[in-house]
Amino acid sequence: MSYQEKRTVVGIISGVILMVVYVFNAMGRVQAGLLGLHDLKPWATLMLTFIGIGIAAAIVIQILFHILFAISIAVSEKIRDESCDDKEIEREIEAQIVEDEMDKLIEMKSSYIGLAIISFGFIAALVSLVLDYPAAVMLNILFGVLFLGSLFESFAQLYFYRRGIHHG
Amino acid sequence: MAKKYSITNHIRKLRFFANEMTQQQLAEKAGVSRQTIIAIEAERYSPSLELAFRIADVFGVAIGEVFACDVKDEVRNGKKAK
Repeated sequence: MSYQEKRTVVGIISGVILMVVYVFNAMGRVQAGLLGLHDLKPWATLMLTFIGIGIAAAIVIQILFHILFAISIAVSEKIRDESCDDKEIEREIEAQIVEDEMDKLIEMKSSYIGLAIISFGFIAALVSLVLDYPAAVMLNILFGVLFLGSLFESFAQLYFYRRGIHHG
Repeated sequence: MAKKYSITNHIRKLRFFANEMTQQQLAEKAGVSRQTIIAIEAERYSPSLELAFRIADVFGVAIGEVFACDVKDEVRNGKKAK
């Protein structure tokens, strides 16, 4: 599994954990009467909090992942060849994490999939309002599809890395 | 008549004749990741024209000696297009 694939898997796992925590947190608050179905301000506050946590967590996790990845390469290089120096290890790390045209194409095609899901989610959110569902439902649909869009984008990336990708 | 173009390559053979050049060495010389070289070699990725030229340049041959185009009639609904 390449660096990009591992990084995507780490992103998926951290995203799913964050979403599960959000769902349990929101459900707990609804049951405790802290979140109403028609009062949007507490929902918006909760979502903004989780978006902030999500961004911070993603940065920290990616940095930790990068460090662990570099250590794992250094260890495997030392095991393979004890006489290898720091420059060789550094070169190997750089060779593994280099982002090239295939990565960019995969990222672009995957983002189309993510955007399509977010677009459908936006329509679903509008439909929920037309069908007289509370505004909090609409807000949660929007929040949910942002997560789903990102999740499917990541799965699409893994798919393209495994099955290949072509221009056009 | 619709035709399907698939890009084939002789990178494995060229690496062999270049003193068994590794995929990693080729990747470094062409300025891409080893993952990309693996995908190109397995015909799971068709490189851009620029990268195709860079790979040909690494082997010191013309682009036509590295890549070829396989043209087939497109199959639609299980029937070959006429």
